[in-house]
Amino acid sequence: MSNASLFMKFKDLVAKHYGENPGKMLIHTGVIGWILSAAAQVVAIVINDKIPKEQKMFLVPQEMADAAVNIVSFYLITQTFASVANKLVKTGKWLPGAVRDFFEKGGLADKLGKKGFDVKLNGNLPDELLKKYEKFDKGIDVIATTVGSILSCNIVTPLIRNEIAANRQKRSIARMNSKNSEVNPVEKPSVSPSYQKVSLKDFQALSSRVYTSSSNLKV
Amino acid sequence: MSISSISSRISNFSNSVTQGITNVVPKMTVKGERANNVISWIGEKVSSPQNRLILGVSALMSQPFIDLNNKKVDEDTRKVSAARTVAKIIAGTLTGVAIRSGCIHAIDAFTKYPSQITPDMKFKNLRSLFAPSEGLLKSLDHYKKSLGTIISLVVMVFTNFLIDAPLTKYLTNKFVDKIHQKEQMNKSEESNKTKEVKHE
Repeated sequence: MSNASLFMKFKDLVAKHYGENPGKMLIHTGVIGWILSAAAQVVAIVINDKIPKEQKMFLVPQEMADAAVNIVSFYLITQTFASVANKLVKTGKWLPGAVRDFFEKGGLADKLGKKGFDVKLNGNLPDELLKKYEKFDKGIDVIATTVGSILSCNIVTPLIRNEIAANRQKRSIARMNSKNSEVNPVEKPSVSPSYQKVSLKDFQALSSRVYTSSSNLKV
Repeated sequence: MSISSISSRISNFSNSVTQGITNVVPKMTVKGERANNVISWIGEKVSSPQNRLILGVSALMSQPFIDLNNKKVDEDTRKVSAARTVAKIIAGTLTGVAIRSGCIHAIDAFTKYPSQITPDMKFKNLRSLFAPSEGLLKSLDHYKKSLGTIISLVVMVFTNFLIDAPLTKYLTNKFVDKIHQKEQMNKSEESNKTKEVKHE
């Protein structure tokens, strides 16, 4: 297959999947954005010469875990919002006034909102009302997707991330302290005993130097 | 248990959750012409750049406060983390909106069906470069926005390193310096007050 036909296939695929579904596009590009952002994070850690190999072994899986939490939370919440909104409009539970009036006049009002009812398929809407309904559907789709992404990206994800980071920080401090206590006394650095234990503050100062950690970038 | 049965179970579970929520949500009729026009306008005009802007603005209104109220870390870390969050949001939103919007405009200029190309247009040969097969869509509007967003994601893989990361670092340092300056000023004011009290 030539490059030109491959490119045409790609364009048709985009047209088929997203040409009429702006909300679906926002969710899928959002997920791709999170994946690329996580990949960029991992690459940034891998190519950073200033981070020792041992730390990389910890930071890379940490970054991947962060990314997984972000992606799953974004997808689940945003997708649920979009699916619920889609069902509400499709079954006629949420409708523009003019379309509901049409159904009430036609004696179909009791079917609205029922499982299995499809406004487009079973409604027999006249062209003008169908256009109105389609515009309403797209608008609700975008609003639901946006509200879902605000909730996931700006409230749920930061709360989960902070919780995970705090727990991870505690574990890391404990691990660093236990390593320090295992060091052979002859090899111990000539510093006063109070400096051999890593405090929360010291650890935070050290971690802030590792610029690439904890989801710095967002595509 | 096979992968297909797991995926069908997940899909069934997700469907029943969606159906459950749908059953609970009350009926809604949007009667006003103006409200219906606003909803239609959002569906037509709001795409990924506007979505990114809305996310950025709402992030500024929520994320720094979540960081500042994170009781699991000490006060200094809370402040630095909030400063970093603000810097990250500003840098990410500025570049995200600009690149998405730029890519969509570029795609818009080169996504035309042959019938839409007028004699006064420059680069006529390239004008249909990104157009899909004719007859697939009624309108190319959402297609252009989708393709523009996909291209912008590829661009942002590079700008993430070239613009976002340095800008976030620069802004974070600025904000952290300001926080430290303010803290020092507060400390010196407090020590002056204590000295005055001692003198009295």
